[in-house]
Amino acid sequence: MTDDATRTLGKGSIPPGPVPEGVIRLYSMRFCPYAHRTRLVLRAKGIRHEVININLRNKPEWYFTKHPFGQIPVLENSKCQLIYESVIACEYLDDAYPGRKLYPYDPYERARQKMLLELFYKVPHLTKECLVALRCGRDCTDLKLALRQEFCNLEEILGYQNTVFFGGDCISMIDYLFWPWFERLDVYGIADCVNHTPTLRLWIAAMKQDPTVCSLLTDKNTFLGFLNLYFQNNPAAFDYGLSC
Amino acid sequence: MSGGTVRSLGKGSAPPGPVPEGLIRVYSMRFCPFAKRTLLVLTAKGIRHEVININLKNKPEWFFKKNPLGLVPVLETSLGQLICESAITCEYLDEAYPGKKLWPSDPYEKACQRMIFESFSKVPSLMVSFLRMQNKEDCSGLKEELHKEFSKLEEVLTNKKTTFFGGSSLSMIDYLIWPWFEWLEALELNEYLEHTPNLKLWMASMKKDPTVSSLPTDVKTLQGFFNLYMQNSPEACDYGL
Repeated sequence: MTDDATRTLGKGSIPPGPVPEGVIRLYSMRFCPYAHRTRLVLRAKGIRHEVININLRNKPEWYFTKHPFGQIPVLENSKCQLIYESVIACEYLDDAYPGRKLYPYDPYERARQKMLLELFYKVPHLTKECLVALRCGRDCTDLKLALRQEFCNLEEILGYQNTVFFGGDCISMIDYLFWPWFERLDVYGIADCVNHTPTLRLWIAAMKQDPTVCSLLTDKNTFLGFLNLYFQNNPAAFDYGLSC
Repeated sequence: MSGGTVRSLGKGSAPPGPVPEGLIRVYSMRFCPFAKRTLLVLTAKGIRHEVININLKNKPEWFFKKNPLGLVPVLETSLGQLICESAITCEYLDEAYPGKKLWPSDPYEKACQRMIFESFSKVPSLMVSFLRMQNKEDCSGLKEELHKEFSKLEEVLTNKKTTFFGGSSLSMIDYLIWPWFEWLEALELNEYLEHTPNLKLWMASMKKDPTVSSLPTDVKTLQGFFNLYMQNSPEACDYGL
């Protein structure tokens, strides 16, 4: 069980107190891919943290004081400083905490990772659209084609670089920023979108061997349970799989 | 050095040679606000650079080897390294070169500037939409949206109680958003600043910055460029030379 296996807070819940010193708090949701990025970085860097899960269909009133639109993820530290946008949160953690640096030190290599992130920008939207289409019984041939094209672009990068990971021979920030959507391909029903990209499949396999990625893998049945309830608009979806 | 008078290179032009050591090259276009970000940072940090202007309405074939999307700005180092995307080029320059750091060193302050940058992200496309719509249909919807975005920025300055978006002195975030404010006068949108007094004061302070004032954009020339660019003229990018 991961450290974020706690029930969500919803409307009418009491606002949490200040963040204790020595800890950073993450407002999250167990199945959100954007929040997943931040959880990966927290874990990879061994940062002491606490997680508060938010019921996204029944948001607590107090949560809008943490984020103007009630989005996740949001980081809150013991100085009451709030950081949002998943990529900004991940970079903040890398900058603010010691130990293993996930972004490379070299400015050019760092820039390369940021350019790679730009290349990835269509993937979250496309994977979500495929999921929604499949769940609503709509045809998603065109969407899958578009997604495959994006994966081909990533395949090309790996081929050109001749490295296992997107940042080189070791896992680094860019791999963690991409990972959440690849972990979801199977449970979204679109795992066949990597059929024509063997190097990308090798990357997926290598990622699954990373201790950080492993420690946060969500059980497929739990995810399916969440998706079923989510598409029925059931606010209990977000707590699926937690023992009472 | 600012590339203000260099004619653009177009289709059929010879590709430029490698970048000499000790210099960095920026592929740019005199009126591109994204490229202006990079030029501002190069100038603010006193980085020795050369500018090659690209005719964006008649792109040289070789330019797609520098950026497959054919967009400016692109940085090229003497090692042949290429960096694209204006915000990434600015960050690269700040990290790779010594001297005054434009990003704050405090991780939270840096994150704040990046969050402001995110909240600014709708402005560029709104301004372009406005440019396209001029003299055509009713653009009150667009004006409403622009007003909303400016109000967000006004709120940041009001809450921070500082002149600049990063504090009491100019920093990266100010340079990153500045180029679009240069367009306001040319697009006759200055009236929107009447509701945002802090933003108006910020603009006045920006105009006094030595870096900003060394790279001025003349309103008439910009308007001339807009006219030709909207007509897809290959002469647009060299207007005023």
